[in-house]
Amino acid sequence: MSPWWIVCRKELRETLRDRRTLLMMIVVPVLLYPVLLIVSEQLLLFGMRQLEADPAAVAVMGTAPPELLDLIRESESIRLVEFAGEPEAAIRSNSVSAVAIVGASGGPEDTRDVTLLFDATSDRSQRGHRALSNVIGNWGDALLAQRLESEGLPTSFATPVAMADSSIARPEEVGGYTLGRLLPLLLVVMTLLGTFYPAIDLAAGEKERGTLETLLTAPVPPRAIVAGKFVTVAIIGVVVAGLNLGSMILIFQTGMLQFAGAVGLEVSIPIASIGIIFLTLVPLAVLFGAIFLGLAVRSTSFKEAQNALTPVSMLVVIPAMLPIFPGIEFGPLLAITPVAGVSFFFRDLMTGDAGFFTGALVLGSTAAYAAAALVFAVRAFGDERILFGGAEQPVPQDAPSWIERIRLRGRGAGVPRPDQALAFVVFVALLYFYGGFQLQIRLGMGGLLAAEWTLLLLPAVLFVWLGGFDVRETLSLRRPNHRALAGAVLLIAGATPAAWLIGWLQSHVIPIPWEFLEGLEELVTAESLPKLAWLLLVLAVTPAICEETVFRGVLLGGTRSMEPWRVVLLNGIIFGVFHLSFETVIQFLPTASLGIVIAWAVWRTGSIWVGMIMHLLNNATIVVLASSPGLRESFSNPEAPPPLWLLPFAAIALFTGFRLMNALPTRSET
Amino acid sequence: MIRLHDITKAYGPLKAVDRLSLSVEAGEVYALLGPNGAGKTTALRCLATLLTPDGGSAAICGVDVTHDPLGARRRLAFLAASMGLYERLTAREMIGYFGMLQGLDARVLEARLDELIELFGIGDFAGRLCGRLSTGQRQRVSLARALVHDPPVLILDEPTLGLDVLSGQTIYDFIRRERERGKAILFSTHQMDEVDLLADRVGVLGKGRLVAEGSPAELVASRGAPTLARAFLDLVTESQA
Repeated sequence: MSPWWIVCRKELRETLRDRRTLLMMIVVPVLLYPVLLIVSEQLLLFGMRQLEADPAAVAVMGTAPPELLDLIRESESIRLVEFAGEPEAAIRSNSVSAVAIVGASGGPEDTRDVTLLFDATSDRSQRGHRALSNVIGNWGDALLAQRLESEGLPTSFATPVAMADSSIARPEEVGGYTLGRLLPLLLVVMTLLGTFYPAIDLAAGEKERGTLETLLTAPVPPRAIVAGKFVTVAIIGVVVAGLNLGSMILIFQTGMLQFAGAVGLEVSIPIASIGIIFLTLVPLAVLFGAIFLGLAVRSTSFKEAQNALTPVSMLVVIPAMLPIFPGIEFGPLLAITPVAGVSFFFRDLMTGDAGFFTGALVLGSTAAYAAAALVFAVRAFGDERILFGGAEQPVPQDAPSWIERIRLRGRGAGVPRPDQALAFVVFVALLYFYGGFQLQIRLGMGGLLAAEWTLLLLPAVLFVWLGGFDVRETLSLRRPNHRALAGAVLLIAGATPAAWLIGWLQSHVIPIPWEFLEGLEELVTAESLPKLAWLLLVLAVTPAICEETVFRGVLLGGTRSMEPWRVVLLNGIIFGVFHLSFETVIQFLPTASLGIVIAWAVWRTGSIWVGMIMHLLNNATIVVLASSPGLRESFSNPEAPPPLWLLPFAAIALFTGFRLMNALPTRSET
Repeated sequence: MIRLHDITKAYGPLKAVDRLSLSVEAGEVYALLGPNGAGKTTALRCLATLLTPDGGSAAICGVDVTHDPLGARRRLAFLAASMGLYERLTAREMIGYFGMLQGLDARVLEARLDELIELFGIGDFAGRLCGRLSTGQRQRVSLARALVHDPPVLILDEPTLGLDVLSGQTIYDFIRRERERGKAILFSTHQMDEVDLLADRVGVLGKGRLVAEGSPAELVASRGAPTLARAFLDLVTESQA
């Protein structure tokens, strides 16, 4: 018997004896979740029937004609009542659900004003309002018919156009469309939950219980141990997902949901699609299993792993939610986006619109990501620093506390630790989020200027000074040589058009919010030279100094001890996240890519001045282009790709800049 | 059977084990003493192939632990201080699992399981989940688990940690029995009476270095101390200075 299979069999046996996993695997999908769905539906139907069984109490005020009162009395869904006091108070106290205030009649050809009072926060009042509105509409129709008759005109005179809606979608297609919005997310989440606890238990749990140490003394290579554990997690994930899918099919295919039938929906999943959905769940479970296993083994306890994996799960759920939002086209780029591709593919399978090409892309890319995640997990299991790193690591005796650092300030005690630098960036980001936006709303451009200097630069300087860190080391205050400066100019000359290209490419997936862009264009466009100088100060010089001090200063200085690629990638991603706005995420990728290039340049040269120059040149270029009438037309259309002639120059500039900087001696060599 | 030659292992700037050399022969019991953080567990983990030494070499029955870790693992039994039992496996399943991982044939394994269950008195609770066993019962299952492939070398990290007198006695009996069977046994401990009772030779570690080695009687005599505990204290105090 292969070692991985021995491990897998044992893990499955143990997992099946774990009540927590069983609860998640069987009880939730097979029992709890259908029961909850059916019970909530029954409650909904019960409530609706109750409301319908009891005619809504309505009242009429003003000069209501007898024929209107007769119509109300004839209606089965409402009953006419009298009330005392103010109508608003009567509605709030549930004495009546809606009140019609009928204005006086001016003559046979005048318009009668009718105001309907109701409470939009009360189901009962809304129902009364709808019913009363229908009756008054009928009364209006009857009056119109009388008027037309008295003038000798046909009824069609008042209806020059008769419009009728007719959807070509069959009821089952509408049902699939409705299901396709919600069920993919549910399936992804349930697959995720199915792998979440077993992965933690089999990796961090095993470390915490001390069994991993014993297991690793058996004559089995780490890859066999990972394979056994990974197959277990993937099997459980697939079983959980399959049970969920089975539950859904049972509920929808057997017509157990009466509500859907009541509103004319045929909610069913095409039989042919069910098999493909299940097949797609396999690589998804594999992907989640490998990611979680690789991450969980880096934690020392179940609780620590739970804390580490929870934010990752939330990140995973975000792309799974995309099919819910309207206007996002499912194309090749989304098909290869992790999790999002699967979620969209499920949606198309449920509506019967799935294509072979996108399906193959989804399956292929998900399998590739799963393989990469598996390599990540295997590497973790083969790394003794990860497996036993925490057990005997000595605590540095000479690390000064924060209070000591404040006492020692100015004496230059090293650089911040990665966790301190990250905590600082989170702090200023929150400060900027809550304070900076308020300043911008109240003071406009002046507020932006104030926010950058007071909420970014000032806290950064205070952090380094009060923290007692080495200012020169932390903020990379080294003078760059000519080669570094030339490299910086070339890099940003290539990176700015590259960011533009990235923005254009992503516009095929993420819709461009035009109002946001128009506002942005207005912000960066100057009509006069003094305005241009002001814009350059606020939008180019200031961010180059303040944002660079935070991101390429404190953050990069604090994370330098990490692997270089992590330092640069993390810096770019955080820089991109910092530039997210309420309206859209379109700025993230271009900004993050610029951040990565600038972070690499600063990491390579050890000089923040390089970063400041690059940031300044990028922002100043945008302001100048937007403010030059001749250039604005050519460069301001976000839907247009960058000019083709620009791209070779950008590529050459990037390459040359990279070569120039890469030839520089590293910090340790200087 | 066990050879450590100039083994060094560092965690960042701290050398947990510093050029440690020692050897244990067949039928010999070697006790590794040292205060907390002296490097005992790190040295044993290097030998058990859990950690890769930064320098030096280690071998089990002539098999280099760095170059052929799987070969070394087939020749050793490692008992961690945490015991390392799976809570949701029964005692029999636990021992059987490691027997399968050691590559034992199903029929051989069944016979070996019966033998170990008999030897360690596990019969009464062989079908009980390990999570429901007492500390003494757990330690017996751990020993049976470690010995399932009957290796020539035993490495035991604080084997009596947290055990009562009766359970401790089981360990003593076990070590004596295995010595008689010609096994090379290396164990770490803080208990001087254990060393007096069991060890043929003792090594004292201080700051990762071997500061003294010899039989318990030789150590006591070399320090002119009344007891082994006193001699150990002297050596440790000296090494920390």
